[in-house]
Amino acid sequence: MAITEKITNTTTPTFWEGAIPVRYVYTYGLAGEKFFRTVKDKGTFLATYCEDCDISFVPPKVYCDRCFNELDSYIDVGTIGYVETFTLSFRNMDGSEKEVPELLAMVRIGDTDGGLIHYLKGFEIDEIGIGMPVKAVFKPKAQRKGSIEDIIGFGPLK
Amino acid sequence: MGMRKVAIVGAGITKFVRRAQETGKELSWQASKMALDSCNLTLDDVDMVTLGTAPDAFDGVHMKGEYLSDGAGGIGKPYMRHFVGGGTGVFSPIHGWFHVASGMADICLVVAEEKMSSCHPHPAGAFLTIFDHTTEQPLLPTLMWIFALEMNRYMETYGITKADIAQVSVKNKLNAMDHPSAQVAEKITVEDVLNSETLCWPVNRLDISPASDGAAAIVLVSERVARRLTDKPVWIDGVGHAIDTAYWATRDLSYPRYVETAARQAYEMAGITEPDKEIHIAEPYDPFDYKELHHMEGLMLCPRGQAAQLTADGVTARDGNMPICPSGGALGVGNPIAATGLMKIIEIFLQLRGEAGKRQVPGNPRCGLAQAWGDLMQMGTVVVMRN
Repeated sequence: MAITEKITNTTTPTFWEGAIPVRYVYTYGLAGEKFFRTVKDKGTFLATYCEDCDISFVPPKVYCDRCFNELDSYIDVGTIGYVETFTLSFRNMDGSEKEVPELLAMVRIGDTDGGLIHYLKGFEIDEIGIGMPVKAVFKPKAQRKGSIEDIIGFGPLK
Repeated sequence: MGMRKVAIVGAGITKFVRRAQETGKELSWQASKMALDSCNLTLDDVDMVTLGTAPDAFDGVHMKGEYLSDGAGGIGKPYMRHFVGGGTGVFSPIHGWFHVASGMADICLVVAEEKMSSCHPHPAGAFLTIFDHTTEQPLLPTLMWIFALEMNRYMETYGITKADIAQVSVKNKLNAMDHPSAQVAEKITVEDVLNSETLCWPVNRLDISPASDGAAAIVLVSERVARRLTDKPVWIDGVGHAIDTAYWATRDLSYPRYVETAARQAYEMAGITEPDKEIHIAEPYDPFDYKELHHMEGLMLCPRGQAAQLTADGVTARDGNMPICPSGGALGVGNPIAATGLMKIIEIFLQLRGEAGKRQVPGNPRCGLAQAWGDLMQMGTVVVMRN
């Protein structure tokens, strides 16, 4: 029966293969453009801040999602952050095993309310703790393209 | 039915463009903020938010409703995305109407967004899997097939020519010259349409609306709130939606039965018995020029097969007896699918308030209608509004 059958031969007439033939070209958006240009050119992070709600956004937003205020001034919040939480990943997207497990974290940037998900680099697993300060490690400027991959990961402060 | 009255009191709309720099979230915020500002409300006043957006495969964001939620003002509130293909934009106010008419919300923000430019090489590719995966997909159908087959069947049934149909594109693109959001407004002739590239006979390039990025939003409120906010509420007096089978080869393509079914629901709710006389102004969905005619007939605004003649007679022009798509429609303003439907609702809202500016139709219209259509040309959504 189809429900339990492992599909190994796709040439028999019991099934078809298909795919949705599209790919995507995403724009950074108004705030994203500023954020990633600054990552590329200056190697630092920008935030926006809503005075009414006392909340800061990293990556920045052009609007406050609590009150809809327009946020149009950008603050350099530096590249140091704190490990909010972390994990060690053993599996790839297709379910296969990773050759080397990947250490990744949610990093709160500076004293903002915002953060980034990225790899932790230069640590052993037993060195990691929640609340630990970390610093963004960027690719050399000439190799940066204005993307999240311009950041290699977050590493030790020194 | 024990339902409360529901009014539209505010509206906002972005420009419709080929490719927006803004993300979908940013477009949603721009339209939503504009809508709230237009009726002096803040996000804090909003009880519920509903968002309409067509396939995830357009923006390239799976679970687009969740992704757009913060731009649409949904954070920390009851928020839900609805989706009925191309019919989504006119379903949006219906979804919001459920919330307010039922008493669940006094103020509901209704947002519609589409960012089709993300999708390469063409958004049409995203449609491959709407066709049956066993009987149709292996033939590599394009979206154009269904319109070409339907248009040809429609022309044959009623003896209508391509030139008769091209008048709709000419009219709508001209109307759009006065719409500040318009993407493809231009003054063209029937010959221009007929001489434009054939994409899938009988459909030519200028018979079709463009792919677009854009967002629109409206504010729906209960009667009590409406009386407090404005002297010019526009009431949603009738709503209807209906779907036909996706086995489209089994259907009569010359007549959109699902539109008629949806329209009958909306007319019954609104107490309309003679739609051709009682509806003063209409915004049927016009992603293709023949669809405006097809939909006018499904909406029973004229006898079957007669919509082209009304167009030729100028009845559907902005200064005609029954202005159709005075906004410029999808053919002129552009077609960011869900946002287009809501753009049509907004056009009727502005026309009924006498605030449509250069686009204002004469004669102080009292009753208007917007309609959209979608899925495998099977979904009809209809809203009747009065001032």
